[in-house]
Amino acid sequence: MKLCHLKRWFLFALTAVVLCHYLLPQFAIAAGNDKPVESLRGPAPLSEEKKAPALKKFPKERELLDLNYVGQPPLIPHSIRGYKITANDNRCLHCHSWDNAISSGATRIGISHFRDRDGRVLADVSPSRYFCTQCHVPQINAKPLVPNTFEPVESLKTP
Amino acid sequence: MNNSRRTFLKSSAAAAAASAAGLSVTPSTQVLAKTGKQNIDWDKAPCRFCGTGCSVLVGVRDGRVVATQADPDSPVNRGLNCIKGYFLSKIMYGSDRLTTPLLRMKNGKYDKNGQFTPVSWDTAFEIMARKFKKTLKEKGPTAVGMFGSGQWTVWEGYAASKFMKAGLRSNNIDPNARHCMASAVGGFMRTFGIDEPMGCYDDFENADHFVLWGSNMAECHPVLWSRIAARVLAFDHVRVSVLSTYKHRSCDLAHLPIIFEPQTDLAIGNFICHHIISTNRVNKEFIAKHTRFRMGATDIGYGLPDTSPLQMKAAHPNDGSSKEIKFEDFATFVSDYTLEKVSKLSGVSKKSLLELAELYADPDTKVMSLWTMGVNQHTRGVWMNNILYNMHLLTGKISQPGNSPFSLTGQPSACGTAREVGTFSHRLPADMVVTNPKHRAKAEKIWKLPSGTIPAKPGYHAVLQDRMLKKGKINAYWVMCNNNVQTAPNLNEETLPGYKNPDNFIVVSDPYPTVSTSVADLILPTAMWVEKEGAYGNAERRTQFWYQQVDAPAEARSDLWQLMEFSKYFKVEEVWPEELIKKKPEVRGKTLFDVLYRNGNVNRFPLDQTNPDKNNFESKQFGFYVQKGLFEEYATFGRGKAHDLAPFDVYHTVRGLRWPVVNGRETLRRFHEDSDPYVRDGSEFEFYGKADGKAWLFALPYEPPPEVPDDEFDLWLCTGRVLEHWHSGSMTQRVPELYKAFPDAVIFMHPDDARERGLRRGEEAMVISPRGEIRTRVETRGRNTMHRGFTFIPFFDATELVNKLILDATDPLSKQTDYKKCPVRIEKVA
Amino acid sequence: MKLPIPNFLKRYWQLLSRPAAIALWLILAFGFTAGIVFWGGFNTLMEASNTEAFCTGCHEMKDNVFEEMKTTIHYSNRSGVRASCPDCHVPHEWTHKIVRKVQASKEVWGKLTGYIDTRAKFLEHRKNMAEREWARMKANDSRECRNCHNFDYMDFSVQSKRAAQMHSTALASGKMTCIDCHKGIAHHLPDMSGVANW
Repeated sequence: MKLCHLKRWFLFALTAVVLCHYLLPQFAIAAGNDKPVESLRGPAPLSEEKKAPALKKFPKERELLDLNYVGQPPLIPHSIRGYKITANDNRCLHCHSWDNAISSGATRIGISHFRDRDGRVLADVSPSRYFCTQCHVPQINAKPLVPNTFEPVESLKTP
Repeated sequence: MNNSRRTFLKSSAAAAAASAAGLSVTPSTQVLAKTGKQNIDWDKAPCRFCGTGCSVLVGVRDGRVVATQADPDSPVNRGLNCIKGYFLSKIMYGSDRLTTPLLRMKNGKYDKNGQFTPVSWDTAFEIMARKFKKTLKEKGPTAVGMFGSGQWTVWEGYAASKFMKAGLRSNNIDPNARHCMASAVGGFMRTFGIDEPMGCYDDFENADHFVLWGSNMAECHPVLWSRIAARVLAFDHVRVSVLSTYKHRSCDLAHLPIIFEPQTDLAIGNFICHHIISTNRVNKEFIAKHTRFRMGATDIGYGLPDTSPLQMKAAHPNDGSSKEIKFEDFATFVSDYTLEKVSKLSGVSKKSLLELAELYADPDTKVMSLWTMGVNQHTRGVWMNNILYNMHLLTGKISQPGNSPFSLTGQPSACGTAREVGTFSHRLPADMVVTNPKHRAKAEKIWKLPSGTIPAKPGYHAVLQDRMLKKGKINAYWVMCNNNVQTAPNLNEETLPGYKNPDNFIVVSDPYPTVSTSVADLILPTAMWVEKEGAYGNAERRTQFWYQQVDAPAEARSDLWQLMEFSKYFKVEEVWPEELIKKKPEVRGKTLFDVLYRNGNVNRFPLDQTNPDKNNFESKQFGFYVQKGLFEEYATFGRGKAHDLAPFDVYHTVRGLRWPVVNGRETLRRFHEDSDPYVRDGSEFEFYGKADGKAWLFALPYEPPPEVPDDEFDLWLCTGRVLEHWHSGSMTQRVPELYKAFPDAVIFMHPDDARERGLRRGEEAMVISPRGEIRTRVETRGRNTMHRGFTFIPFFDATELVNKLILDATDPLSKQTDYKKCPVRIEKVA
Repeated sequence: MKLPIPNFLKRYWQLLSRPAAIALWLILAFGFTAGIVFWGGFNTLMEASNTEAFCTGCHEMKDNVFEEMKTTIHYSNRSGVRASCPDCHVPHEWTHKIVRKVQASKEVWGKLTGYIDTRAKFLEHRKNMAEREWARMKANDSRECRNCHNFDYMDFSVQSKRAAQMHSTALASGKMTCIDCHKGIAHHLPDMSGVANW
């Protein structure tokens, strides 16, 4: 066989493979639920013990993470390893409190945090907002387990 | 609600938030502000997750949820949510939503070993009805079953209970609340004769001391925890004590963190009672007027099958009886629990025990005790609930602002649906039970059914249902609104075999593919949360309503629609015996839908009473306001019986009301003259759940757990939740932000325990119990600080089915599983 | 040919050869040996008491501060370079070490009298004890920190933004020292209300 034939065959095969790769899943979705119905376990049978995924790391520092909507607590763009929030001390406030935020370059805690249950504005952060990690969490670098089709409003979409 | 005002507020807040988040306010935002395209429809809904019952505002545009925010007008959470609540907007949008019924088929026919194949609802219900009818015909009503949920809306639970107990005439309906609140119910019924807390969340702002018994509120009830934090951090005299079997986030605020040996809470409680008595701080007047003392049966086993050796050893297996005793007998009984003895047994220092006991004893300290799964998921859970009430009753610290024994709940409507509606295998609405002929007669009357419709024998409870499926005694089974194959105890040996049993037909309704749907024979796609009109009842007796705010995707239908539509597939003659039909011949030829839901009550309210601005899929389908009809029929059970609910429409206009709602007023604290209209004037307290108005204190001993660590299985394992995920994670694991905050389950253990087994942080460990093994990663730091010999694994992760390790031992009285203490061995995965 | 022996040596030899001087011999020999034994022993003791095993030999340290340390980066980390108790709490340089060791005798007294023999007592005194350590570190410009963390060799470019900023300004100018910011990095903090600059 001539070399140029081989090359042509190869290109043809490649095109076919690529097309199948891209088109077949689309057909499967278009055809409804022909794809296997899998739980978050994936295809592993319940009796099988899969290898546990490695611990995922929280990046030490990253760019600010987008908000999905107004009123969403900002996500923490850094690792919080060893951060303690106890009755004795709140590590987060060292940087994020209003008096420290400018010198530390950190995001200031939101004004909503200065109101108590009854809506009175307080001189300092409301104690009911003291445990930051109830609402603010850091994020590992990983793909979501399953994609989420939620869409924020246009003004909050990242171009 | 004034939408325009809200919208205005939101748009200006949007700019503020956008700039705060480091986003530039682009010109497009300015343009939008002028065109009005920024409008979002906001409406209230209770949170989909825990029993706290926070209210959120759901923002909808173009038929999709685009935002959620904490509801500033809700008395529960006043503008605050936890991280899960803030991300509610995303729970419905996982890309793998189930959108069509799926039946296991081979060669175009149902086959248990076939592949899931999309079918129409009609086909799905056809085959399902055929299986149920065949089972009913061959084996009778005890061979069909349903496993429901404390996440059902009130009317879903009510419709389900009616369908099973009256329609199919089977009491084999139990909610997953059995795994969650059954011991609490048992405790309430034994001590007070009426279910649910007497106090309310307002007690948070009134108590001087909070005591957490085996509860990690910082992670599991974060918004209520913030109400405690607000008090503890702002007032010098306000303190919180945390009793736990390991150190967790709640301990970070604790003035007195107390780590005790598993199961010894019983002894600690008895010591506190002893201390109150021996230091002469009993509220004698209260005790004399309002209480009785009982000696409970002891050595009651562990709720295991009668053939299990542990159960055979028990002298009085499953015995919940008690005998009347005097105060002096009770005092003698608890005097056995000396400081010395209890300190040794529990591993808690004498100083801490005394300090704790003093809080309860001191008449001037207002104490709020709080508990959930640590006490309820306990082989002596009912006892422990009783003992907690003992402490409060001895001192009269009950039903007053800040003096409040408070049983928290885990699910959004464990109270409102599972308990109040009575979807348990032995219950009927408003605390009534199937074993009581008067109660059955009342239910049959309200339901307009012939007497004898409801069977008198309690059905199979949750764990028993699994055992019966395995034995082939239940053959047609419907699982709704829960993920029991991930959450059931000993699931490899007790749950899965039943699902796989070739004689059984298993239907699972869920919005998402779960571990449970993966072993179902028929999957029904479910509409969730604000895709339907709903009602939930939270832990403080607050009933909250919401409207349908968006449409469910494709063919997904709510549990309510599924239940009611399915009932059309049954003719009365096919499921009721002739002698029953004879008592009410007009039902002949009718469907169960006609008998149960088109009965003149449920179909009483026309479609035009629904909110014209909102869709209501079910009502449009059935031609009447189904939610209102079901609710109003249900409410007749409790009105005038200390379970009064307000008229249906009221709930759509308020942020919930706490029952009993009498003359338009909610009740903050029950059993006290000042706030409870059911307490007669001049009696001050009245525990009217009991015939003579007196609450019962129970003398109950410490008894050891069924299994303790030994040479082979040398570590304790506790399972539970983490803040970021809820239950089996089928919703929260699909929210990218929550997944990325706590991606996979890990085993929290002490670094030295790990080192001894050749393990270090992040390495893979095999966790082994006599019932199975799982693989997970070691975590030696982070939010929990484990002591030597104790480990914790959360159960949200579908890839690490930790509950297969757990013994299916239950509280013998409540039949609730103990998920909190299980001996395991840990090995390094080579 | 015999080498001439200097006179002074001869005289010295004679001195030592006299019976009365044998005592002097003995004293010298004894002194030498005792010196070796004592000095060696002292050093061995010093070394032995300068280990984690010694420090955590009493439950006061083992169950409180050592337990807390086990989850921190100074105990377990990427490269396995870790600090033990004396690395931070005992000066490495001889004179300072001896001074600190003498001070430590007070801690022995504390142990004997059960000053912090329960968790409750430990918590009660935690702030006191912590403040003493902070004062010591502040006074010596965080000397023990600097045994490992040498300012001259810090690469700001791989530090977090905040850390780089603080280290390149406040720490560089000598205005602040490590302990000013890095309190509670190996043990839990006491109630921090009223602590200066916190």
